[in-house]
Amino acid sequence: MIEEGQRLPEATLLRVGPDGPERVSLAERLAGRRVILFAVPGAFTPTCDSAHMPSFVRTADAFRDKGVDEIICVSVNDAHVMRYWGETTGAAGAGITLLADADAAFTQALGLAYDNEAVGMLNRSRRFAMLIEDGVVTRFHLEQPGVCEVSTGEAMLADL
Amino acid sequence: MALAAGERLPDATLVEMTDDGPQLVELADRLTGRKVVVFGLPGAYTGPCSTIHLPSFIRTAEQFRGQGVDEIICISVNDPFVLKAWSEASGAAEAGISMLGDPDAVLTKALGMEFTAPPIGLYNRSNRYALLLEDGVIKVANVDEPATCKISVGEELLAAM
Repeated sequence: MIEEGQRLPEATLLRVGPDGPERVSLAERLAGRRVILFAVPGAFTPTCDSAHMPSFVRTADAFRDKGVDEIICVSVNDAHVMRYWGETTGAAGAGITLLADADAAFTQALGLAYDNEAVGMLNRSRRFAMLIEDGVVTRFHLEQPGVCEVSTGEAMLADL
Repeated sequence: MALAAGERLPDATLVEMTDDGPQLVELADRLTGRKVVVFGLPGAYTGPCSTIHLPSFIRTAEQFRGQGVDEIICISVNDPFVLKAWSEASGAAEAGISMLGDPDAVLTKALGMEFTAPPIGLYNRSNRYALLLEDGVIKVANVDEPATCKISVGEELLAAM
């Protein structure tokens, strides 16, 4: 599993651009920048929708005031689903970047994938938030399954 | 299996969102002794699925019921949370269309309908088809060529009944 002090693995993620889904190199977004990256089990799932994402929508400006260049949300969903979720939650309006890990390759490379077959969730990401400075993880707040406490926007802000 | 008249759909465990959260569903339980329309598509919130395919069944749902169809089921390789949100946003819920998720694509693969398109981030998704089933047996199969949405729309299935 990824740890503080380690460099994030390279990953190609997806988002919907003007011409449809487009690839995004994560390394390019991280080089020389201060980035918050948080991951959720799934778009439109209750805790992600009602607690985790809203906590970053609320705190987005406070992160920018602390020198954070970008806030990125990653989930194992496709880019279309992420786009609509960004709109319905207000995340897009708050300037949060939503990136799809459609094949779960990034989530698996971090060692953070899990399955919950009873609710149809396969190869999803455990809930976490990170501060990443020039590609290196300098804060890593990983949740225990089923809770959303240490990885919220407020909890990350307090640790910056 | 081939999606053709006379074939019986394989059993499959799908996932449906209910008032009590996601529940596993045996497809056979929904088909046995009933007249059911089943249609499959690449994904919630994707272009033609949201703009053409699903709306065609929302438009025609009442007509299918008028022809004795007990249930209209949309199947997609999505999780039940996404399907619920899409169902409400699209008007499918209001039109009484059921949404069943095939998250591990087991049914989609058994039907020979799966495709993968890494550049657009779709893995093990379903090509488009629409079926009329009676007691689990296919009476009409309208299967579209990959990346098209022509004969699997509601109006075309209605016309073929």
